[in-house]
Amino acid sequence: MMELLQSIFALYAERGDWFLSLLWDHFLLSGQAILLSGTIGLLLGILISQHQKAAPAMMGICNVLYTIPAISLLGILIPFTGIGNKTAVIALTIYGIMPMVRNTYVGLTTLDPDILEAANGMGSTAMQTLLRVKLPMAAGVILAGVRNMVVMTVSVAGIASFVGAGGLGVSIYRGITIYNPAMTAAGSILIAALAVLLDFILGCLEKHFKKRGS
Amino acid sequence: MAETIIQFDHVHKAFDGHPVLQDFSLSIEEGTFLTVIGRSGCGKTTALRLVNRLIAADAGKVFVKGKDVAETDPVTLRRRIGYTIQNVGLFPHMTVEKNIAYVPTISKSPLWKGEERHRRASELLQSVGLEPDLAGRYPRELSGGQRQRVGIARALASQPDILLMDEPFGAVDEITRRQLQDEILRIHQEQGITILFVTHDMEEALKLGTRVLVMEEGRAAQFAPPSGIIAQPATPFVAQLVCRSRDFAPRQ
Repeated sequence: MMELLQSIFALYAERGDWFLSLLWDHFLLSGQAILLSGTIGLLLGILISQHQKAAPAMMGICNVLYTIPAISLLGILIPFTGIGNKTAVIALTIYGIMPMVRNTYVGLTTLDPDILEAANGMGSTAMQTLLRVKLPMAAGVILAGVRNMVVMTVSVAGIASFVGAGGLGVSIYRGITIYNPAMTAAGSILIAALAVLLDFILGCLEKHFKKRGS
Repeated sequence: MAETIIQFDHVHKAFDGHPVLQDFSLSIEEGTFLTVIGRSGCGKTTALRLVNRLIAADAGKVFVKGKDVAETDPVTLRRRIGYTIQNVGLFPHMTVEKNIAYVPTISKSPLWKGEERHRRASELLQSVGLEPDLAGRYPRELSGGQRQRVGIARALASQPDILLMDEPFGAVDEITRRQLQDEILRIHQEQGITILFVTHDMEEALKLGTRVLVMEEGRAAQFAPPSGIIAQPATPFVAQLVCRSRDFAPRQ
């Protein structure tokens, strides 16, 4: 065990630049997917909260997509989008939509009816109620979904190198193929560190919103 | 003689086939403090919500300032009518000041821009008997009575001619309720605003109203000044309500 740790640190010392560039690629790759699934998931969540008849169908689709194992989703996409970062971003986006849709929907549909009655009775338009009342009040729950999605995307992006994408998955995959467990572990540790850091930042934000709302 | 400001004209309203208002007609003069009383489900809240078109009549018409509400844009209509409910519904993510400024803000009123917002919100806080330095607080930091007062200030912010109040003091303690009653009486006397006030407490209805409307199963049982209600109850139900509010029946 000590030996493994030592060789991991040796790797970081020896190939620091390589790991740093992989970390940066990983951040960019998952960042693109996070922005996309964040936006799409938020919009879909808002849409089904305004048209609740469509909610069960939409949630059903999202749940089904979510249950596809990540690696097979990558495989399924190859014939359509080829190999490389594009396929990885699409797969990660599809994967990240579910927690976003669910939390946005739940957040927007479990608000205090008295507050909505007041907003409505005072002459808010539907858009004003959404932007000034509903979304700010649901922000805590929605942010919990964002947090969930971000951590998941960062970690799942680790297998994106199987379809030829960059990021820390590259060191994991190479470690496996050349039988160098230290290299696999070195990549994994950085992924975990990135996920924990982002989770911590979002956690602080979430606390701020939770404290302010209700 | 004052002008009619709100008029119900043979209004019918049913929910799921169950009639709540039946052939309901009523004219309310400008400056009236109308208290509406009756049992749960008698249609008093329904009548109130028809005025700002939160619900629409199945048949018959409701006029506000001579205009049929069915032909008025509901958003514009509601911004001109103050509205408070039992649980106030203050926005938890906004300070007291932002809550009070809500209607002027969404209507993009130039009178509430920048520094003016703080000055006007402070004025309103004082007019409902609160300290202006509450402006920066959040609703969760206020007591029940304070929240109710902020709710009234918020309803008055756009200087409406009509104020709709749906059991506004139902959820506060007895002493706070009396204070709030005195406060709203004072506001009515000072501003000459028309108030529709739904309550289930006859004592409150008689104390506040210049007119009292007793409702029974979707119809007006009696519409009279408080003295008229006490002196000549129109139906046995009205008599029962008046009687209840006069005599305490202490537990033996």
